[in-house]
Amino acid sequence: MDDLLLDGEGVSMELAARHANGCEACLRSLSAWNEISATARELQTSWKSDTLWPRIDRALREEKRRASRSWLWQAAAAAVLTIGIAGSAWYAVRSASHDARFDEQILRVSALDAVHQAEEAHVAAIERLERIAAPRLDESSAPLMISYREKLMLLDDAIAECEAQIGRNRQNAHLRKELLAVYRVKQKTLEEVVREGTHVSNQ
Amino acid sequence: MHGATLPLATLVMTDVRDDHKVAAACAAGDSSIFEQIYREFGDRMKSIAYNHLGDVSDAEDAVQETFLKIHRAAATYSGEAAFSTWAFRILINTCYDFLRRRKRRIDEAPLDESPAVLEKSVPGADVAKRIMLRKMLASLSEQRRTVFTLFEIDGLSHAEIAGILGISEGNSKWILFATKKELQQQWKNS
Repeated sequence: MDDLLLDGEGVSMELAARHANGCEACLRSLSAWNEISATARELQTSWKSDTLWPRIDRALREEKRRASRSWLWQAAAAAVLTIGIAGSAWYAVRSASHDARFDEQILRVSALDAVHQAEEAHVAAIERLERIAAPRLDESSAPLMISYREKLMLLDDAIAECEAQIGRNRQNAHLRKELLAVYRVKQKTLEEVVREGTHVSNQ
Repeated sequence: MHGATLPLATLVMTDVRDDHKVAAACAAGDSSIFEQIYREFGDRMKSIAYNHLGDVSDAEDAVQETFLKIHRAAATYSGEAAFSTWAFRILINTCYDFLRRRKRRIDEAPLDESPAVLEKSVPGADVAKRIMLRKMLASLSEQRRTVFTLFEIDGLSHAEIAGILGISEGNSKWILFATKKELQQQWKNS
């Protein structure tokens, strides 16, 4: 009986009904089986709902609108993000370049200070040499010493002129080299004065 | 067993290419294709939803939700099942979602038995038996209730039920048999 009910097709159900006719238990069982199916068919439900389709249609249109709005928002968000990233990248590059320029400037200033210090030390050494040479230049009336004195006066003028120009443009390397050259000449001249003075006094 | 209504596959969209076109139109939000689907399947969808949820308002909400889900998921339709089978699968899953989300069982919800709603109820038929069967159905597991409802109430074939639930035809027959055996026992005892 169960095999026939499991199959459930028309022929099987006819065979089941035939079998049940001769068996009281199977008849009760089949009767309940068929009654369940018959009652179930009565549960088939239908009702008019004139508002359901318009409601679904509205919801679909709203969904479509929301989807396109969401697409717009996504596009706008993507644009803002892109602009943000580009701006940050530009700022980072700009900062890096600014830092590099700043570092370069610092290095230049520090190099300049080093040159300046070297110059000061050089000038101080020449001044010491000048102090040694001064008595020989002042006391001697020899033509050579007079000539040295005039040369040193010219060199001092040139030094003053150079320093005035450097004061207006501290970073002018050419002027600094020129000043250095003048100082070397002065140093050499003072050395000659000291050497000549010693030579004269020894005589 | 009875099959009072047309099988799904004969209603519309029997061609796989047509199914893909329908899915594409649904994905694009073509209002006319949704209206066609509603005209063809709306009554059956409402009935299936009602027999799962036991409430007219919930059933209509579930049908509406199903249409929205079809619109959202149509782009992923692969064509492995007929479009209509795929749509009914969405409906069944939506009904399960409703049952879980609202934590409302059919026996907890007041059943709308007004004549305006149950048009197909036979006048003078045993209302007590219908109420008793509904209560019995409410106590079944989701799958057993669905197979019984789709076959015995909504008249779908085992092939259609198998397609909707993603099970074999033989399995559908076995589930129906086991369900009716369970109901038969309760029916005889009542």
